[in-house]
Amino acid sequence: MNISRLGLLLVLQVLCAAPSGAQDAVPAAQALLEQFDELYRSTGTAARIEIKIERPKKVRTMQMRSWSEGEDKALVVIDAPARDAGTATLRVGSNLWNYLPKISRTIRVPPALMMGAWMGSDLTNDDLVRESSYAHDYSVTGVGPSEEPPGWQVDLAAKPEVPGLWERVEVVFGRTEQLPVLVRYYDRKGRLSRTMQLEEIKKMGERRIPTRIVIVPEREASTRAQPREGRRTVLTYLHVEFDVELDESLFSLAQLERRR
Amino acid sequence: MAANSTLRLAWRGLGRNRKRAALAIAAIGLGQFAFLATAGIMRGYADHYFDSVTGPLVGHVQIVAPGWREERAVDQTLDNVEAMLAEIRGQSQVARAVPRIYAPVLAALEEDGFVGMVVGADPALEGVANGLLGSEELAGLLGDGRVLVGKGLARQHGIEAGAELAVVGQDIDGSIASALYEVAAVVESPVELVNSTGIVAGLQDAQALLRMDDEAHEIAVRLHEAEQIDQAADSLGAQPALQGTEIKRWHEIIPQLAGIIKMMDMYSLVVLGIVCLASIAGIANTMMMSTFERRRELGMLLALGANPGRLFRMVATEAVLLGALGVLLGTALGACFAVLTAGSGFDLAELGGEESFEMGFQGVQIASRVYPEVRGTDVLAGVSAVLVTALAACVWPLLHVARLEPVEAMRT
Repeated sequence: MNISRLGLLLVLQVLCAAPSGAQDAVPAAQALLEQFDELYRSTGTAARIEIKIERPKKVRTMQMRSWSEGEDKALVVIDAPARDAGTATLRVGSNLWNYLPKISRTIRVPPALMMGAWMGSDLTNDDLVRESSYAHDYSVTGVGPSEEPPGWQVDLAAKPEVPGLWERVEVVFGRTEQLPVLVRYYDRKGRLSRTMQLEEIKKMGERRIPTRIVIVPEREASTRAQPREGRRTVLTYLHVEFDVELDESLFSLAQLERRR
Repeated sequence: MAANSTLRLAWRGLGRNRKRAALAIAAIGLGQFAFLATAGIMRGYADHYFDSVTGPLVGHVQIVAPGWREERAVDQTLDNVEAMLAEIRGQSQVARAVPRIYAPVLAALEEDGFVGMVVGADPALEGVANGLLGSEELAGLLGDGRVLVGKGLARQHGIEAGAELAVVGQDIDGSIASALYEVAAVVESPVELVNSTGIVAGLQDAQALLRMDDEAHEIAVRLHEAEQIDQAADSLGAQPALQGTEIKRWHEIIPQLAGIIKMMDMYSLVVLGIVCLASIAGIANTMMMSTFERRRELGMLLALGANPGRLFRMVATEAVLLGALGVLLGTALGACFAVLTAGSGFDLAELGGEESFEMGFQGVQIASRVYPEVRGTDVLAGVSAVLVTALAACVWPLLHVARLEPVEAMRT
């Protein structure tokens, strides 16, 4: 709690000093971003997740287990609904494989499909493999108070040398805790493309984390021939364990196929 | 009698300088030939484009779920397709109606996936000419887990007949759809979409993959006569089973093609305009020269009491005769061109020294070989244009005749 207050004080100090020079804002904002980067990362993370994919005419809910190690290894296995159970996605580095239990096949996702939807959600395959860092891939361009939602907004611009989808990102951190509450992503044409709301902060293990993440595909909903209101993906962490020891073989193709 | 003698005099007038008259006739003839050949090629190309695009893929009229054309989402399906097909086929203008399914998938022979498109097609309907497969033999291979793979896709990923192909996508509920198919054959289809990404499955196999019941993404309708399109679209729109669907005419689906066909018609008109200009120049020049040369003779005829109206008729008849001979020559050349190219056509690419090719347009293959189609209406348009311009071209010489003073003309 002390650290949290210290962080907030730093932000306030920076904000007060902002008129005399934005340079002072950078370190505090940087610390917030680094904390955001590390929020869900650990040497070994195991989680149970529920993903609700909401569409104008239907809602689909999936339950899954996930394991991740560091930044570049992850495994997600779907448990429900029954018809999708056993379907798994393995990520090692920039490679992504899907295991389809119905046909007992593992297929590597080609680069051309990286921007395609992951399991029909508003997350893309690319979201799963991109080693994106708010602290290192973006430059802080501004820090200021946010009214809606209330908090402190950090404006980020993509560094020219870093390839990525987003040209500009706005991260709003809550006033009471240093945790992010809203992220707005703008594409290369400056259009709001996606928003991510981080809600329901709970203590999971030793960490306090937002356990409900709502992803809304803004641009898709507003520019299509028929606006599709009500499209969003809600990801809820049901249980998370950080810094657990995971067997290295968990993240292998052989293990992926043996899971059936 | 007077008409006969006017014609005789006009004929003689042309014969005064045969080389000049022959050159004018040749210029007009070449113009008429150029017009007939251009109109024939353009029409042949336009018809070829039209048949290629509306034939196997688009159809004359398409019926889809609202929004499907923009979104192409797997769950935007037509329900109760069998009832719809029964009503569509009940319309007198309809030659055939085919249901189809399209689903983007990740496909794989081994571990590495690639992008493909499962096209669900009814084997009984797609094996005919103008069908997606165009061959009964190929259509007969479809179904029961057997698929046909487009030539381009097969070449790119080393797919051969007999291979086992895994596909994964999303079904209409958003769940994961996966299936293993046996590749029955690698096919070359007139449809570019099939060649480059197509995995053609039987309609029932595609429905099973996507968990569809009696559903499809589109019904392509081909009419007996393309001209009946508006009437057919209106009567289809009134059918109870088709309420709540989107009914589109081909030119609404592919306005680019409609624009190209219109442009081709305009191009023929431009050539007709050039023919008119050539005729005007050729005839006006010949008639002016001829009238100036006969200034003394015409003056004498006027002095002897000849009716100026008769002189006018003589000059006008000479001009029309010149135009008529030219247009006759051009029409004869055009007829030869039509006869020589009607059966075999000719390859525009080969004319340019290139190899014959097929280009993709709106998802279909269009060959560079063209079959010109010269119509009687083209000949009539050319003849009318040349004769009208012949009369227009003799206005200047006629004005010259009208201003002739007999005594002064005889002195020159």
